[in-house]
Amino acid sequence: MSSYLYFFGCVIPNRYPGVEYAVRWVTGKEGFHLDIKDNKDFSCCPVPGIFYSSDKDTWLLLATRNLVLAQNERRQIMTVCNGCLASLTKATEYLQDPKNMGKVNRILAQIGKKYTGVPQKTEGKRKIFEPVKVRHYVDVMVKDVGLEAIASKTKHPLKNIRAAVHYGCHYLRPTERAAFDDSNDPVMIDKIVEACGATSVDYEDKLDCCGAGGGVRSHVVELANSLTQDKCTNIAAAGADCIVTGCPFCLLQFDNAQKSFAKEGIPVMHVSQFQALAMGIDPISLGFDTHNVSAHSFLRKLRGS
Amino acid sequence: MGEAEKVFIGGLHEKLVEDKVIDESQLEPNFPDEIYKFGGRDVMTCLQCGNCTGVCPISLKIDYKTRSIIKCCQFGLKKYTLGTQWVCATCYRCYEHCPADLNPAEVMIALRHIAVREGIIPPFIKIAATNMVKFGQSVKPDPEIDKVRKELGLKPILTEDPEYRTVIREIQVLVHASKYDKLIGIEEEVRV
Repeated sequence: MSSYLYFFGCVIPNRYPGVEYAVRWVTGKEGFHLDIKDNKDFSCCPVPGIFYSSDKDTWLLLATRNLVLAQNERRQIMTVCNGCLASLTKATEYLQDPKNMGKVNRILAQIGKKYTGVPQKTEGKRKIFEPVKVRHYVDVMVKDVGLEAIASKTKHPLKNIRAAVHYGCHYLRPTERAAFDDSNDPVMIDKIVEACGATSVDYEDKLDCCGAGGGVRSHVVELANSLTQDKCTNIAAAGADCIVTGCPFCLLQFDNAQKSFAKEGIPVMHVSQFQALAMGIDPISLGFDTHNVSAHSFLRKLRGS
Repeated sequence: MGEAEKVFIGGLHEKLVEDKVIDESQLEPNFPDEIYKFGGRDVMTCLQCGNCTGVCPISLKIDYKTRSIIKCCQFGLKKYTLGTQWVCATCYRCYEHCPADLNPAEVMIALRHIAVREGIIPPFIKIAATNMVKFGQSVKPDPEIDKVRKELGLKPILTEDPEYRTVIREIQVLVHASKYDKLIGIEEEVRV
């Protein structure tokens, strides 16, 4: 199996530490024993809605700095966030162009770094490099760990839980990049939810945007919230007990927007938290107290099982 | 286009209404080239089919129609487009549905680049960029969250760590080298 580096990004460590705990727990010795470690020099990916939108040169420099750290460790990056996935993957694509790579390396020389890609083999005198691999947590879980392993580690199947899965835009699109799942009919998070013993409910406009991306949440929060409201109406109509997402920024949006239009709201969590619950973690370690929407109703139903 | 051009653009804010008369002095013929320069594809290939508007989650909610903005770009109506582009959620649905293989989301991103260079910079850009050069994170670290991290047995956020200072310095060097600090107006935060 491959070796990885944790890449938590900004939102998880600074807003939802419970997700970080869950990911470490699921991938660590209590869970699947992945060959995974930290690199404390990682910075923000940087966030596409800010840097990719205002200056692509700066965005590429900062993203490449992170990629170089992974390249030097010969490890894959495992992101837990759709935004980090989009930003870093796009950076590796840009760096495939020798012109971009040269330009970036000239500036990176100022901080003593150089991006080449990961050396694979030598053909005569020529070295073959491959771009640094950037993987999503869900991708690693389904492709490398496997659904059977997830199901066999499920000590406490979440039998009576009906979960509404939200994928998030940058997990799905652009299609040519989201090669690890079917963009028009994604199944991976649904499958993880089912491997945890829960039911994944279908609801209208499942692949719609949460409304937060691209700076919309920061710019016109009412607009972002009205998109979230539509999603939540559909999710509530399907009778879901919780929303499960693979993206902490979607999580943040669902979690914060709901107080503007709903009294109680539907609890929302990251797929790693959901998995950890099925694997028998104590819910107190999942940091639900930092979530705005109380997970009380969900946890009560869980105990009822 | 010697005469005044009557442009039909389906309601782009109040500024652009149906049957509005726009004269030639407002047109900037180099605008599509400028968009191309900042990474948008050639807007002139747009067929005006309207698929992008149809699938746009934002267009459902407000008077922001992707097709109309692309139309403005084709005509070179620069001032009407600057200010609308920050409501794009970059969900890339328009791209998936575009028969001309134009990428409207990337056009919006190019428009953002142009707006920033014209000095139209929304405050959140400055805030996030400042957090980035100060903390190495776009989200500002919160002392309350650090308490929770401690309870959970996680390491504190690294920003206070003296070893992380070198990372922040590296970020500042890069931001300064690409002149981003000057562009956004955060020079006082960057000490290189």
